[in-house]
Order: sequence, then C-alpha cells, then structure tokens
Amino acid sequence: MFKFQKEQEIVNLAGVKIGGQPGELPTVLAGTIFYDKHEIVEDAARGLFDRAAAEKLINLQEASAEETGSPHIIHIFGTTPEGITHYIDFVSEISEAPFLIDSPEGAVRSHAAEYVSEVGLADKAIYNSINMSINASEIEALALSDIDSSIILGFNAMDSSLQGRMEMLENGAGLLEEGLLSIADRCGIVNKLIDPSITPMGNGAGIALKMTITAKAKWGHPTGSGIHNAPSAWNWLNRKKEKDPVLYKICDIGSTCLQQAAAGDFILYGPIEYAPYVFPMAAMSDIMISEAVADLDIEPVARHPVNLLV
Amino acid sequence: MKTIAETWPLLKGDYTVGNPKSRIAVVTLASQIKPSPEAALWGSSKTENLGVEKIIVNAISNSNIRYILVCGMESRGHLAGHSLLAIHAEGIDEKGRIVGSEGAIPFIENISREAVERFQQQVVLFDKIGLIDLVEIMKIVRKYEGLGEAYPDEPFVATSQKKRRSTFTVPISGDIIISEDFFMDTTSGVVCQAKDF
Repeated sequence: MFKFQKEQEIVNLAGVKIGGQPGELPTVLAGTIFYDKHEIVEDAARGLFDRAAAEKLINLQEASAEETGSPHIIHIFGTTPEGITHYIDFVSEISEAPFLIDSPEGAVRSHAAEYVSEVGLADKAIYNSINMSINASEIEALALSDIDSSIILGFNAMDSSLQGRMEMLENGAGLLEEGLLSIADRCGIVNKLIDPSITPMGNGAGIALKMTITAKAKWGHPTGSGIHNAPSAWNWLNRKKEKDPVLYKICDIGSTCLQQAAAGDFILYGPIEYAPYVFPMAAMSDIMISEAVADLDIEPVARHPVNLLV
Repeated sequence: MKTIAETWPLLKGDYTVGNPKSRIAVVTLASQIKPSPEAALWGSSKTENLGVEKIIVNAISNSNIRYILVCGMESRGHLAGHSLLAIHAEGIDEKGRIVGSEGAIPFIENISREAVERFQQQVVLFDKIGLIDLVEIMKIVRKYEGLGEAYPDEPFVATSQKKRRSTFTVPISGDIIISEDFFMDTTSGVVCQAKDF
C-alpha cells in the first residue's frame, strides 16, 4: 500500500468524514434505496412505497455501519420531482445520515436541490452528480440552492481514457467550455467528491481505478465510485446469475475491495439490501489497508474497523 | 457476396441471436421481452452512448438486417431509443454528439462517421417506443423478417478503437509513497526506487 505525497482533504458531511490517506478513515458506504425495479417501490412516479420495508432497510444499513465502524450514506434514487420529494422526506425522518440525491434526469436533480434547500436539509444532501450532461438551467438551480456537497463525475463519452476523464474535470476535454471542477465552484460546491465513473468492463472499468489514484494524487479530494456497476453490467455474469445468484452477489459485493485497494474513500455499493455483506467486506479491506500503511505514519481514527473488529 | 461478418455479432451485449439471415432486429430498450429466433438479434439497450454504438456495430456487420424495431419502455433520462432514432435521422456532429438527441450524454466514442452513415443507409427504423405487447411485436417481426433484399454491400466491420492504447510515459515524479525506498508516479503508474528521483 502507499501514501499520497499530496495532502489529502477530509470533508465532513453532516458528521460523516470522507477522504484522507489510505488507511486513515474507514471507507464510507452508500446503499441505494428506491432504485429502478426496487420491490419496495409501488409507484415510482408518485413516490409511493412500502414504508415499513424501507425503514427496515435503512435500519439494516445503520446497524451494519454501527457494528463495523464504516460510516454510511443513504443513496436516494428518484425519477420524478414528486417521487424524489417523498423519498427525501421519508429518509430524513428515519435517519440522521447524509443522503445522496440521484436521478437520471437533470430536472429531477434540480428540483431535489431546490427542495432540500427549502426544507433545511441541504447540509445533509449530496448532489449526484455534476457530470458532462449538465446544462445552464441545472447549473443555475444548483447555484441557487444551499447544497455545498456534490459528486463530480469523470465520465467522458468521447474519450474514456485516463487523460480524457481527467480533462473532463480539469478543462471540459473540448466538449464543455470549462472543466467540471470549475463548474462545481460556480455552483458553490465546497465538498467535492470525485467519481472516476465506472464504465462497463470492456469500456474502461479498470481505468476508473487508476483514475482514483491519479485524482487523489493531483487534487487530494475524496474519491470513490459505484464500482459494483462494472459486474452488474457484465453480460457474461448476468447470464450466470439465473443459475447461480450467489456467484453474482460475490462479484457484485466483492468489487468493493478493488475500489478500496485503489485508494477509494467512498463506495456507492448498490442495493441497500446488501449492507450486511458489504460492510464486513469493506471492513476487512480497511483493516488490511490500515495495517499495510502502518509504517507510513498514518494513524487510523478511533472508530476504524482495525480498532473495533480485531 | 458475403453478407455476414465472420465473427458476427461483433460486440457482446444483453441480446440473443436468432436467424442471422432475418431482415429484422428487435431492440427492446429498458424492457425484457421474450425473444423470438425469427429476428436476427433481439435484446435490450439502455444507454444513449455505448448502447447505441453496439446496435450500430452489430447491425452493419450483417448486411441481411434491413429493419430495426425499436420497442419496449424507454430508459428514463438516458433516452436510448430516442437517441437511436436521432442518430439514424441526423447523424453525429463534429464532436461526436448525436444530433437532436435529448439523452443525458449522447456521444459516440468508438465508431466512425462512416459506420454511422452505413447504418443510416442500411436499415429502416420502426419507432414503436412504448410497445411491449409480444403479439404486436411478433406481427411486425413476421411481416419484415423475409422482406426485401440484403444490403448490396459487404458487411461493414466497425472495429472498436477502445482496445488497449499504450500511454506509457517515463516516470518523472514520485507522488505516492509506498515505503522509504519506493515511490510511485501516478501519471505513468510506475513504481520506482527513491534514488531514481
């Protein structure tokens, strides 16, 4: 393992600390709730869902976090303004944890940013994400909101190389007039969480691992990803899934360790149901990484798995 | 004249291969609809960039395919179906952006403008976005599976440019400390001895 020469920023999001040198802080884990085809969702457009089941899932993640020492974030996925509003209300009622507001549609993300500002939840919200699809109206909505934390996505649809992804953040890679980091500054984003963007395997999933290290070395911002998207988009594995669902879960959950070994500070691990498996898996990696950097003058925090579980 | 590329379909994906000589392929967007072997290819497509590229590459490498039925539910935000229709109608601009697409990130990275033009010339798209009724889908498949002739040109092999590109550079700094004696230069990805710097 290794230590970055560049000072590594640690951000504090509603009490959850993310970033630092490998082995210093436990990996922050975000499970997704209300995702596409999530069985607890009854009507995604209207934001209707089984409240008891949703509460149970959030508690499951919270208990896993408490036991292992890995802090947690709730990743809220919504597809309509009405839906995401209900989801935000519910999650903030049930848990004190920070939450990600995520949607494939810019208009829904903009609405969520406006809503959390209105109801005083902006300090707990993390915008997901500032990416190359951002337009003037989304920039304006985010700038007008009180949100100051965002994931910044290194996806470059024209050049998925390491250089292409880094340039997207730095200068817009010739596709945007300015880099996404600069756009984030204009939007008032103080806590920048870099996501190198997990493209499918065969289209540069592995490059995202290298970019994690490169981005931390260059900027020092906390960096992480939704690495499970690589196995979940793997057609070969998906064909095996029908015969052997356990095999699929092993690859999906196990991918967490790869991102941690590549210096990831946070991981969007996918379905929140996997919390009881992901948290111990991540704790195992954190312990080993912490031991591996012990001679580099990196001290793990008190509530690090190395201090809680071994 | 050869009508099918040797290793067709060239790109793997969430689809099943039916009759390679069929004139029609079926794209079910975000829906999973039971495939029929009467279509050359039958599968989903959820993204406005890589998904669109795969459909183009696999369609133009089989000259038998003259029709593509675009059905199933659209993927929200990504608008994969809308983007496929847009690239067929309008092509791509100088930056590789699909003209007229309102998908989130509608850019083409791995295939050439010539491949897009071949796609426009070779196939006719049927816009049936939202259709999930298998009976209705099969009516269209059966109507077109043997209709007309193959495209009068050899299959177009649009090889991906994404495969390993070496960007090896000589390490110039040690920005990651591995131990007292070893450093890593993140730009080159090379681990070096401290005395090298």
